[in-house]
Amino acid sequence: MGKRVAKVIAHHALTPLADGSLENYRLVKEGRSAVQHHDAQEWNVGEDFMAGLIATPFASPRATNLALHSIRCALEQLSEPLPTSDTMLIISTTKGNIELINHARADVRLGAMAEQIAHELGLTRQPVVVSNACTSGVCAQVVAQRLLTAGVCRYAIVCGVEAQSRFIVSGFQSFHALSPEPCRPFSKNRIGLNVGEAAATIIYAATPAEDIQPNDWVLRAGAIRNDANHISGPSRTGEGSYRALKAVMTGAKADELAFISLHGTATPYNDEMESIAVDRAGLIDVPIGSLKGYYGHTMGAAGVLETILSMAAVDDHTVLATLGYDDELGVSHPVKVASTNRSTDKRAFLKLISGFGGSNAAIRMQKGGVQ
Amino acid sequence: MEELIEQLKKQIIEVLNLEDVTPADIENDAPLFGEGLGLDSIDALELIVMMEKEYGIKLKNPAEGKEIFKSINVMAQYVNEHRTK
Amino acid sequence: MNIRGTIKITPQAVVRDGQTLPTTKHGDALLTECYRNSHADYPKYFKMDGLCRLGFVASELLLMAQAEERFQPRDDRAVVLASCHGCLETDQRYETTIDDNDNYFPSPAVFVYTLPNIVTGEIAIRNKYLGESSMYLFEETTSEEERLQLLQILTFEDPMTTSALIGWLNYLDGEHYLAKLYLITNE
Repeated sequence: MGKRVAKVIAHHALTPLADGSLENYRLVKEGRSAVQHHDAQEWNVGEDFMAGLIATPFASPRATNLALHSIRCALEQLSEPLPTSDTMLIISTTKGNIELINHARADVRLGAMAEQIAHELGLTRQPVVVSNACTSGVCAQVVAQRLLTAGVCRYAIVCGVEAQSRFIVSGFQSFHALSPEPCRPFSKNRIGLNVGEAAATIIYAATPAEDIQPNDWVLRAGAIRNDANHISGPSRTGEGSYRALKAVMTGAKADELAFISLHGTATPYNDEMESIAVDRAGLIDVPIGSLKGYYGHTMGAAGVLETILSMAAVDDHTVLATLGYDDELGVSHPVKVASTNRSTDKRAFLKLISGFGGSNAAIRMQKGGVQ
Repeated sequence: MEELIEQLKKQIIEVLNLEDVTPADIENDAPLFGEGLGLDSIDALELIVMMEKEYGIKLKNPAEGKEIFKSINVMAQYVNEHRTK
Repeated sequence: MNIRGTIKITPQAVVRDGQTLPTTKHGDALLTECYRNSHADYPKYFKMDGLCRLGFVASELLLMAQAEERFQPRDDRAVVLASCHGCLETDQRYETTIDDNDNYFPSPAVFVYTLPNIVTGEIAIRNKYLGESSMYLFEETTSEEERLQLLQILTFEDPMTTSALIGWLNYLDGEHYLAKLYLITNE
């Protein structure tokens, strides 16, 4: 067997908009948003806020059950069950079941949450939890790729999940990071982010490179880089994001990319930093976009959810509009962002993400084999 | 005013965990941010919380903090004029 | 893989490269004693939560003993850590700032530490490491060797990484913690 690559064999997204990847994509393409107004008193927090919250009731522990639902839906798409001893579960989350902190501390341990999910699925290998703040969903896919290419296992289930809670909302409010209005990524008058919840799953399989078919999605490259600058503020030079972009573009050309799915949280500093990083990496002419206007910032789920929607967009020859972008560019470098859907015939994209702790991560996804 | 200035210094040292700093080390007119105490953006946010908790002053916009936290003197002046507790 | 240095810190003792370092305190006070003894002159130490203090002191003592130039920006060294309890102690502390409706003052300085990877960022900032930083969480159901081996494989799959600070960092409270870090190279 030649070089093994990480091929996508199934995916599923559970969001406030829909239960299923393609239904989510269809609604996003129509411009639908999950983000709604929520009342401070009802949530017992300082101020009203905007968020994309899943209305369907899920039993406690909620994050565990959101994840289980999404993973099971992804597994159902496979023609046969995965070999339980050769499959690793990789969970991406920032706060897991944090709402139980005063009641069931053991359920709050992220490793315990992952073990419970693995147990319910009958998986026997110890699960891995990637907890690199908001970059976790991209990092988890990088971990999957490494496990598969290194031969540690043959299959990797990556699930990104985030349930919103008073804990998270109050914390972001203390950072004055939440916008009281729908977020406006890359716009001049952007004032902050909206939070969101989702569970999103991608199952990867180690596949010989020569067996990749034209319609297969492959994670070609991944990188995780630190800014070494500040634990909460992004680097003013886009250091880590630039380095992550540069690393995943090794051996690839900018004109092969349909788009770069940026983090685009709509906080003043994040979007500005990303524009710098994209320019420094020589990618300023590549279309970019943010999906935060559709779902809000789904934190641990964001990297996985946004990868799924980006794959669906490329399959549909589309560069998705950045919902909330008001056509007045508010970043210093001229990134190619748009408020309407555009068409593309390219077959690859980058997903970039950044977060607290100075963490940045990028992956390059490509459809089909390398000629 | 002298008393308020001393109190503010002690509170700043406590909430920002400035372990090796004494009230005498903080000059009334010196900039709080930038050089000197080595405070950063998280410290500024924490001072906003302190203003509300200790003095009932609610700053909606972190940008306001920039002006108010210029120096101990400016801060004391502002607290004196706007405090509700 | 080549191990260039090791450090183990428990609430009772600090052992570096097999040698017990002279200390007099225990628990949280031991960490601060180590910080003082290191002459790091890094006041941010006092703003950190327990997990970060543990990681900071462990990495500082480990790296101090290395014959290498420090504080020069570099992207070939990764910081890859794993934990069981992560930042649970800080989660609990943040929760107390919002628990009481009559005393609801969510603290940004505490909230920022409610992410387990902040410690990897603190170490990267201190040492100007621009390479990979990652935090993984595991229950202690597999052996330490198995977990360490997995970290190693994950770390050196990135061709940029030639050395790494890797290991286990667990902080339950000021009386219960464990740091076991290794400086490894892929030579």
